Amino acid sequence: MSMRQVAIVAGGEAKAGKRAASWRDLVQEAGKALFEDVDNLSPKDVDSIFVGAAQPERFAFLSYVAPLVAEYLGVTPRKVIARTELACVSGQAAIRYAWNCVATGMSDIAVAIGVEKMYPPDMAEAQTTMACVLDREWDGVNCFSAPPIFAVTAQRHMYEFGTTKEQMALVSVKNHHYSSLNPIAHLRKEVTVEAVLNSPVVAPPLNLFDCCPMTDGSAGVILVPAEDAKKYTDSPMYLIGSGQCAIGNVINNLASLSEWIPLRLAAEEAWRTAKITKDDVDIAEVHDCFTISEIMEYEGLGFCEKGKGGKFIEDGEPYIGGKVAVNPSGGIMGCGHPLGATSIYHAIEILKQFRGDVDRGRYVKGAEIGIQHSLSGAANQHSILVCSREPR
Amino acid sequence: MSKVKFEKIKRVEKIPLPSMLDFYPLQDEKHTRISQFFKNLKEGHLTTTKCKECGKLLWPPRIVCPECLSENLEWVDLGVEGELYAFTEIRLGAPLGFVEDVPFCVGIVKIGGLLISARIDEASYEDLKIGDKVRLKIVELPDGRVFYRFSKDMEQ
Repeated sequence: MSMRQVAIVAGGEAKAGKRAASWRDLVQEAGKALFEDVDNLSPKDVDSIFVGAAQPERFAFLSYVAPLVAEYLGVTPRKVIARTELACVSGQAAIRYAWNCVATGMSDIAVAIGVEKMYPPDMAEAQTTMACVLDREWDGVNCFSAPPIFAVTAQRHMYEFGTTKEQMALVSVKNHHYSSLNPIAHLRKEVTVEAVLNSPVVAPPLNLFDCCPMTDGSAGVILVPAEDAKKYTDSPMYLIGSGQCAIGNVINNLASLSEWIPLRLAAEEAWRTAKITKDDVDIAEVHDCFTISEIMEYEGLGFCEKGKGGKFIEDGEPYIGGKVAVNPSGGIMGCGHPLGATSIYHAIEILKQFRGDVDRGRYVKGAEIGIQHSLSGAANQHSILVCSREPR
Repeated sequence: MSKVKFEKIKRVEKIPLPSMLDFYPLQDEKHTRISQFFKNLKEGHLTTTKCKECGKLLWPPRIVCPECLSENLEWVDLGVEGELYAFTEIRLGAPLGFVEDVPFCVGIVKIGGLLISARIDEASYEDLKIGDKVRLKIVELPDGRVFYRFSKDMEQ
């Protein structure tokens, strides 16, 4: 079977943040923005929909959410409908399955939309919800939710490679700088290294500004065969490669704490399938859930050597104008992390960059290749999409 | 004023902790086929399953070896003394049921060829360093279920 090339022709987002809006309000905001971003296409034309939602059962007491979202968007899918769940990568999973369906010919017009409502009335309840992502009976029970697992990851990286808290803080400074220029971002204020180091301790060595915020949000994209893309927009974004890898789940079975081997393998597969090298990447929207994450992603993606991620940012390489523009959106650190929607916000960022539709202070001029990377759990699973301004 | 009837209704305001909001696993033979793990723990032994066909040491304990699909597994004792591989202290953002304990230390302990997560008791963050020896400790919940932790206190 020959596969079709696939393009993203539209993106729509709800404002990310601590929102006075319900789960379904967020979906409607993103859906309206999505269909207003595309020509010659209405919700009734969509034949398939994938809904990225990590924990609606816990956060919003909703299950079976794909038909609910379709109903609110005015979509009546006749080919494929499903929810995708892969914790923090649920949104990219939605794009992947939509891509697959369009590529194989099963679908001609597919929506991938993600949503998460993370501010219930009681924040301790939200923390409880998040603590069942790692194996609840063997790691969650020991209170290994997101901050502790990334705290011990940072500790090992510091111990083995000499990475410093100041280097980690630089990631927060960079990403808050870019998010200050991004109107949809959750956090719009700049921070300094001193502010990061003096922010409250969450789980040492992680301070509050080493951590992404909890965020409400929703974002969606429309995928069509590349040959049809210009019918719907002057500026489509082409999906040209991908890589995904998961190794182990419970802490004992991780490949390593201080080196993200599944990321290295996913990156190799992404470069191979896109027929590019790491040096071709102009924009990397990566999963900076914690400052240490972005440092380890420079390494895992091959932008620098293993253990040298701290120096990479010290040298200014992940800034616009450096070796590769990493998180010009402001990343998860600045834009926020509505689990099921995060990857889709980042994919839309690359689309906006290709279109030149961003503030000049965070514009990556002439970018041709962008990657969207997401990780989940204890960083045992990594996913990469390779996006191109031109068809391949 | 509307003529529609307005009535206050009742709702249960307090319920016991639902089992699916409880972090500790269900342990008896009615609920799990690895109840032996918890029986061993109650007697002071931290154990796991090892495949008798291919020799693979498995954590968490299983009923089937994922390497060779054998169900011929045996219980092996992991010992009582471990080494701290990594650790942190929970100071903000603890889940329900753990909020009252804040601050407390958690870590990854090297023991019996495994790297397992656990609470680290009788220590604060400043007392600990990578490579420290830690000793197995068993805790019992009010309903009789047990779980393992490690302690910085080696004199037991």
